[in-house]
Amino acid sequence: MKRRLEQVFADQFAAPVRQINDQTEIWVNAKDLPAVMTRLHDDEQFEFEILADLCGVDTGTEMWSVYHLWSPRSPDWLRVIVPSLKRDDPRVPSVTFIWPGAEWPEREAYDMFGIIYEGNRDLRRIYMPPDYTSFPLRKDFLLPDDASRSPGEGVRHVEQTHQPAENMRQPQIRMAPQLGDNQISTLSQLPEETEAPPA
Amino acid sequence: MTEVKTEVRSLDDPNIWVDTPATIYDAIPPYPPRTEREAEFYHLRDGEMLLNLGPQHPSTHGVLRVVLKIDGERVVDLDPVLGYLHRGVEKLCEVGDWHIAISQCDPLEYVASLFSEAMPVMAAEKLLDLQVPKRAQYIRTLVWELNRIASHGLFIGWLALDLGGLTPLLYGFIERDEIVEMLASLTGQRMLFNYLRIGGVNRDLNHDFLSRLGDWMSRAAVELEQETRLLNENEIFIRRTKGMGVMTPEMALRMRVTGPNLRAAGIPYDIRRAHPYAAYPDMEFDIPTRAEGDSYARYMLRVDEIRESIKIIDQCLHEMPDGPIMARIPRLIRIPPGRAFVAVESPRGEYACYAMSDGSDQPFRLRISDPSFWNLQSVGELVPGNLIADTMAVMASLDPVMGGVDK
Repeated sequence: MKRRLEQVFADQFAAPVRQINDQTEIWVNAKDLPAVMTRLHDDEQFEFEILADLCGVDTGTEMWSVYHLWSPRSPDWLRVIVPSLKRDDPRVPSVTFIWPGAEWPEREAYDMFGIIYEGNRDLRRIYMPPDYTSFPLRKDFLLPDDASRSPGEGVRHVEQTHQPAENMRQPQIRMAPQLGDNQISTLSQLPEETEAPPA
Repeated sequence: MTEVKTEVRSLDDPNIWVDTPATIYDAIPPYPPRTEREAEFYHLRDGEMLLNLGPQHPSTHGVLRVVLKIDGERVVDLDPVLGYLHRGVEKLCEVGDWHIAISQCDPLEYVASLFSEAMPVMAAEKLLDLQVPKRAQYIRTLVWELNRIASHGLFIGWLALDLGGLTPLLYGFIERDEIVEMLASLTGQRMLFNYLRIGGVNRDLNHDFLSRLGDWMSRAAVELEQETRLLNENEIFIRRTKGMGVMTPEMALRMRVTGPNLRAAGIPYDIRRAHPYAAYPDMEFDIPTRAEGDSYARYMLRVDEIRESIKIIDQCLHEMPDGPIMARIPRLIRIPPGRAFVAVESPRGEYACYAMSDGSDQPFRLRISDPSFWNLQSVGELVPGNLIADTMAVMASLDPVMGGVDK
């Protein structure tokens, strides 16, 4: 399989083909991805018809989009890595034109990493609410626990507060008259969000 | 849009009236459409209306919310809204060490949690290039197949319940309860077993487990026949499942459906054969397939799979080797840096995991790909054109578990 891959895609790989245990790993630049995927899917000597997995990765310095394929012609998993996507604007072509079923995983990768899959017709957040602004699985999104783990970098990512859209109705709590104003004031005195500790 | 009174009494205090956010009761979202597809979906033509199903609806198997676009009783289009059960498991796995990731992944697939907890375990083993002792491999295969039967038994009951029959659910639960009690005597837990360990399993087989298993095995096949006889030739059941939600092989591959749903469409893709793991290379079993691809085929295929599972359990028990149940590894492991991909065949399809390690004791990235998530998205292709009542039947026949869908 490794030899066949090298023969067919000699100039389209960003790094040499690697064999790790039962996984063949190829690195493809984002612009070559649709051509390589179409060839892997359609070509009779590959027949990678099953998309085993699709996910995003944040390495800390750059973003990846990682695909795993399976074919009856090979005993190994094929891993396709699209490396070096820019952190501030990661863009990669969508594979929904081959597998429409990749739509949701691409939405998930967008939701969690902010990777924009160009060509996905429905690229909106899938798990987080629509007014959410962060990308939780990025490495710079730290959980409260992380502060204790790495004291040198324990600055918590402070999420932007953002105004809700004007046409969005907000929950209003209205008290029945017999309860008086006491409880309303306690409700409005919820503790303010404290500032993050300095680094 | 007409003005709807949205104030309701608070559940905590009936004296408090709460103006609920529009997103829960109104199907139309209170923000501008984000994508073309969303704009297209929420644009109503003459005679169409939106109907909000869930998230608290018993037939959605958890907390799935589906916005149905209906024309009379027919579903024109639908938009599943996920995330009500999202816990951020992948992020939590990155915070704890590899052992903690096992229990984090446990509740993902809460109906068959031995499969989801296998993910960090097998990924770590592959990264360590660790040889798991043969006895541990056999025990894993044994409990996996038991769990598969428990899950499929529940599926049969739930499918019948969504079609209006209560009795099969009770039978399904009787069967499941026996297996779950059996596994509890082995693992100590009824639902979230936390039994697999990096390098083996937690405890060896004990007498209580084996006597329960032997007792159950002696009548499992007969009981299965009795239970499925309720449904197999039931007129109402057949008319509501045959020809419903037909999935062609091409569609199944394009939509990337796996597991029994894919095999019911005629494609014999099963990881136990396609990419064998644990003790499956030594086992003799068939991969049942069906050509029809409808709800009934998906049901029958699971019944066939239970039979195959019983066969595998029988072989496991007869060929169970002696030896240690854990590989000799230190309790505090640093996993060598690298990338690994593992997949197992869960009752719902391909449960896969892509793990990256940076050489520390914590996973750098643990991507868990749940089959329910991938399978559920094909409802967008299967349901339109059917009646509202059949939406549940088709959805139930895909057998999604929301814990895995939302992660």
